[in-house]
Order: sequence, then structure tokens, then C-alpha cells
Amino acid sequence: MLWYYVDLSWRSFKRTPLVSALMVIAIAIGIGITMTTLSVYHMMSADPIPSKSEQLFALQLQTMDEGEGWFTKDDIPYQLTFKDAQRLMTDAKGDAQAAMVRTGFAVHLGDESNAPKLMDARATGRDFFSMFNAQFIHGGPWSQSDEDNAVNKVVLERSLSEELFGETNPVGKTVFLDKFLFEVVGVIEPVTEHTKYYDLNNGSFKRPERVFYPFSLVKELEIGTWGNSNGWKREMVTTFKQRLDSEIVWIQYWVQLDSPESKANYEQYLKGYIQEQQKIGRFARKEPKYSLRDVNQWMEYNEVVSEDNKILVLLSFMFLAVCLANILGLLLAKFMRRAPEVGVRRALGASKTQVFFQHLVEVGLLGLFGGLLGILLAQLCLWGVRESYSYYSALAKMDFLMLASAPIIAIVACILAGLLPAWQVCRTNPAYYLKTQ
Amino acid sequence: MIKMNNINKVYQTEMVQTHALRDFNLEVEQGEFIAVTGPSGSGKTTFLNIAGMLEPFSSGTYELDGIDVGKLNDNQRADLRNQKIGFIFQGFNLIPDLNLYENVEVPLRYRGIKSAERRKRIERCLELVGLGARAKHLPQQLSGGQQQRVAIARALAGEPRFLLADEPTGNLDSLMARQVMEILEEINREGATIVMVTHDPELARRAPRNIQVVDGQLADFSLYQGAPNKEQTAGDIAARAAEA
Ligand SMILES: Nc1ncnc2c1ncn2[C@@H]1O[C@H](COP(=O)(O)OP(=O)(O)OP(=O)(O)O)[C@@H](O)[C@H]1O
Ligand SMILES: [Mg+2]
Repeated sequence: MLWYYVDLSWRSFKRTPLVSALMVIAIAIGIGITMTTLSVYHMMSADPIPSKSEQLFALQLQTMDEGEGWFTKDDIPYQLTFKDAQRLMTDAKGDAQAAMVRTGFAVHLGDESNAPKLMDARATGRDFFSMFNAQFIHGGPWSQSDEDNAVNKVVLERSLSEELFGETNPVGKTVFLDKFLFEVVGVIEPVTEHTKYYDLNNGSFKRPERVFYPFSLVKELEIGTWGNSNGWKREMVTTFKQRLDSEIVWIQYWVQLDSPESKANYEQYLKGYIQEQQKIGRFARKEPKYSLRDVNQWMEYNEVVSEDNKILVLLSFMFLAVCLANILGLLLAKFMRRAPEVGVRRALGASKTQVFFQHLVEVGLLGLFGGLLGILLAQLCLWGVRESYSYYSALAKMDFLMLASAPIIAIVACILAGLLPAWQVCRTNPAYYLKTQ
Repeated sequence: MIKMNNINKVYQTEMVQTHALRDFNLEVEQGEFIAVTGPSGSGKTTFLNIAGMLEPFSSGTYELDGIDVGKLNDNQRADLRNQKIGFIFQGFNLIPDLNLYENVEVPLRYRGIKSAERRKRIERCLELVGLGARAKHLPQQLSGGQQQRVAIARALAGEPRFLLADEPTGNLDSLMARQVMEILEEINREGATIVMVTHDPELARRAPRNIQVVDGQLADFSLYQGAPNKEQTAGDIAARAAEA
């Protein structure tokens, strides 16, 4: 019976090609807009590292004196001081940990082959790569002794490696970061795909850095941050040494805790550390807080998906509703014109239910066509977004889930719009139309 | 087969109230062939529509094969209609977008008959009304008489046990009309019950039983019901009724 209904629907489209095309286009526009905003929203809010997002925690410490506030929701600074970060790295009480900071260099080979390029570089611990699932193509992270002794070792992202060294394996070759010579120890694929969740400070959707080197070099080479620094205390900070010893917060800190016990132990350790620091006059408040937020909580806390994004999705659904209201009107007119035929079908043995489903199949089919065309339209819109805002280029994409849900949303929406017209046409009195001919 | 008791049908429109049937009583036995005559507007089509459960009635009771139709819901009525009843409408009512083959197919589709069986029946019935060669034509490519024959083929294809025909020969020449009459007589012999509205006295005379609807009521000719006479026309009956 379903095929019979599909066949009848197809004939109905062909009988009124213009109206049918209009309806399909209306649905397609509604779906196109909705899927565009929904796809971006979906990408923004997606878990960037589903396999580990519950084991990775961003650490915050409430270092300020009693009475000092912060501009975060919970009054805790979102970065650490250098001295705290360094101490926690040395104690290394988590299952893995990485202090990190955004810096930058002019990268070049020291000869004429490439012009120096100014770019972001991340100073971090060697655990960074295993913690954030970085995929090595060549080599691996620097060693613990490199880390402890602040040796000039560097890991490059594949794209940069190819720019500098071509397709060859660059492990063992050297590269200049500013005036410092570094040995390449590894080449990785990009660390994140769309959300730069490990450092949300300077744009949540920036591409990840392409240069990584040991955190210990920050002190050794006196490397300044390219990220944010915030302070709360009146301190004398003129030299780099003073900066390292100050209460200024500018280091991000992640710790991997594989089990609840592991987390409990780590919290115990943090409490102990805070008490110890209180003895030397830091954390001077009654109940200094700390916070361990996992990846998704961290994204939520940093409002990666803003209210504006949510409102945009809501608005686009309202637009879809307007499209559907128009379609409802057109369907009503179209179906009622068919009442005489429906009368004949009823007299020849069709039940109300069968007539109802025949018409629902027809609107469902409309929805399917509209949904498919809507996907094309959404792709076009997303392409436009990517072209005009390179910042969103990794987000303005439809993944499989979005591709699959577009026609489903379209069909469900159309069936909702078609319920009333289908109901109207199936309850007309068949005899009425049979007499008048 | 059919038992109608004091059926009333009132059409309520903004301006007027039409009493299309009043205290209509009729019993039809299984296998009967009844010709219904009566002036225009007397309620013949209304009676057929109610008999075919296409229209609700205002009061009275109607039993079809012992089932009280008034107590059925819409889907049950549709089922019963689908299983037992065939219609030939006064205005043919072919579906304009469907070709002849597909038009005849409609009742078979709703009855869930397999496609091979459908094909056999459709081809046979179109052949029977002399339109086998035009299966692919659309209704508007046919004359009125041809359309009428398609409507007949459509009713026959369902092999109904109960056929309601509203002037099935109205648009046909007398030769064709006689052929249609022969087809109806044939399926009646095979066991179908037939109620046929006609204005043609000659055809009415061929039916074993004649009834007349006048002003929404069955004209009283109980006199003749015991011994139906094939030679009596509706006119004769009315005349004798007037004499009595
Ligand atoms: N849907 C309707 N609404 C209002 N009045 C109606 C409706 N259908 C029929 N009538 C009225 O009911 C009466 C009976 O109509 P019906 O169609 O049964 O007559 P008929 O005997 O079939 O006539 P004809 O021989 O011309 O076909 C008529 O007066 C008609 O105007
Ligand atoms: Mg009539």
C-alpha cells in the first residue's frame, strides 16, 4: 500500500508542479537555514575528545588574599601562577600533567630557503601529547631528561614540517625559533579538530599551535607569554625573574586523573599543598578554593557556546516554523481541491485511515525532497560561512549526524504541517461529491 | 440481505430543509435484482448512498447481512463496503489522473488483492465492456458512454456481492444498454444482489422486482409483492395503485 501512496503522491506532484516546487523550496530554505545554525552549534558543543574527556581536568587555584574577587563565575582565577605550575609539575601527583602557555616565535631554518614566519608555539610538558591524544607521524615527545634539563627540543605539526622540510622525516634536523636552535624530535597531526579546548583564552575555535617545546625552557630562555596575564596584587615586576616569582596568573594547567580514587588522592594533595603555602603567607583566605573541571565542564564554564549561538538556533527554528505555516496553507488548498476524488476512493472501499495515510505519505515525501534540497542549501551556507569567517572554518561543517537528521527534521516538520490538511480531507462526506457531477 | 426500517434522511442547508427520505422501509433478499424507478429528486440516489453506507441517516435502522450499520464506526463501515459493495455512480466519477486500467484498479487496491490477480480481473472486466484496447487512455479521452462503461467495469472488477447501480445505462445507446443489462443479469445469476436505479421502463421491466420511490417514500404496491409479474412496468404499478 505504501508504494501505491508513493505513486499517487508522485502523480500529485506532477499534476501541480509549480505549487509542489514552491513547497519543496520553502521547506528547503527553512531546513537549509536551520541546519546551518544547528551544524555550527553541534560542532561547537561537541565533546572534542570523547574517549578521555572525563579523565582530563583543568586545574584552578584561588590564590588571592581574603577580600579579593575574580571576574569568573566562581571567583577562581582560570590560570595559575608560574611558581604553582612549576611546583605541581615537579611533584607530578596526577596520572599525567601538563603546565602550558601560549608563546610565539619567528620560525626559520637559518638559511635562505624559507622566510622566517611568526607563529604561535606552545610551551608544555611532555605528557601533553599522550594526554590530548596527539598522533605522532615521526618520532615522539622529548624525553623526561630533556624536560628536566631544559634542552632545546621541538615537536612540529605535520603541515609546518612539510613547509620546512618537505615530505621527508625531519627528526634529528634543526630549526630556529627566533635566535634559538632546536632539534626536531617528533611530527604530529593537529592536536584538535575544531575546539581548542586545552586553552580557551584567545578564541575557542582557533587552530591548535604547530610548534611545541619543553615548558622548562620558559624559565631558561626567558620566554614571554602571547596569551593573557592577570594580577591582583601590587607587586614590583620589572625583570623576568620577578615575573616568575610573582602572583601574576598566566599558565594553564591540565592534569589527567584516570579513576575516582586517583582524583580523590589528587584533591588531598592539593589541600595539603594549599595549607603548606598558607604557612608562607600565600592563599591568605579562610577557605581557599580549588577547582578540577573535566573537558566538557571546562567548555561549559568558558561559555564556548555563547547565548548568541543558542538564540540563533532558536531563531532559525522559528523561521522554519514560518515556512511550515505557509506550506500548511498551500496543502490545505491543494488537498481540499481533491475532495471529489477522495469521495470516489472512499465509496470504492478506502477507509478514512487509508485516505489519511495517503496524504501523510504525500507530505512526508515533500519533506524528504525539501530536506535533501535543504542539505544542499545548508552546504552552500556553510561554505559561505567558511569563506567569510576563517575563524569558523573548522566548525561550519555537517557531520554524519547532521546530514542524517536534516531529512528527518524536514519529514517530521512536514508531517506536522500536513496533519491538519490530511485530517480535513479524510473527514469530508464522500456522498456529497458523488452526487454533484 | 438488506433491512431498512423507518429510515429518514433530512438535508439541512442554510435556507431549506429537504426531507430526502421519509419512513423508508425496504427488505431485499440475497440474490434479488431490483429496479428502482421514480421521478427526479425523489430520493433514489440518497437511498443508494445510504444502502452503500456512504451517508449517515437521520433516524431509523438499517441492517446489512444482519449487521446493524448504525452501530459501526467509520473504519468498520469502510471495511464492509470494501468487502461486499460495488458502486456504479450516476456521474461515473472516474478519477481524471488515472488511466482506465488504474481506475478499475482502485477498489482492488484497497481490498489488498495481489497484482497478478488484479491484472487478470481488470483485463477481463475492460474486455467485458468492450474497452480492452483502451486500458492506457485517460477518462477525458473517452465519450460519455465509454466512461460509463469504465465505471461499470470498475464495479464489476471487485466482484461485489451487492451492486448498487445509479442509472448505469443512462448514457448508453439501447444496444449497449441491453448488453450492460445482460452483464448485470449474468452476475446476478452468479449470486450477486443488484439494486439498479433506472429511468428506462424497458430495462426496469426486465428486472424481476420493481420498486418506485416517490417523494422519499417507497410507493406502496404491496398488492403485487407476493406475486411479482415480469410484465408489470413501474407505470402499470403506479396506475393500478391509483385505481385501488
Ligand atoms: N447534499 C445535499 N444537500 C441538500 N439537499 C440534498 C443533498 N443531496 C440531495 N439533496 C436533495 O434530496 C432530494 C433527493 O435527492 P436525490 O439525489 O436522492 O434524488 P434522485 O432521486 O436521485 O434524483 P435524480 O433522478 O435526478 O438523480 C433532492 O430534493 C435533493 O435536492
Ligand atoms: Mg440520482
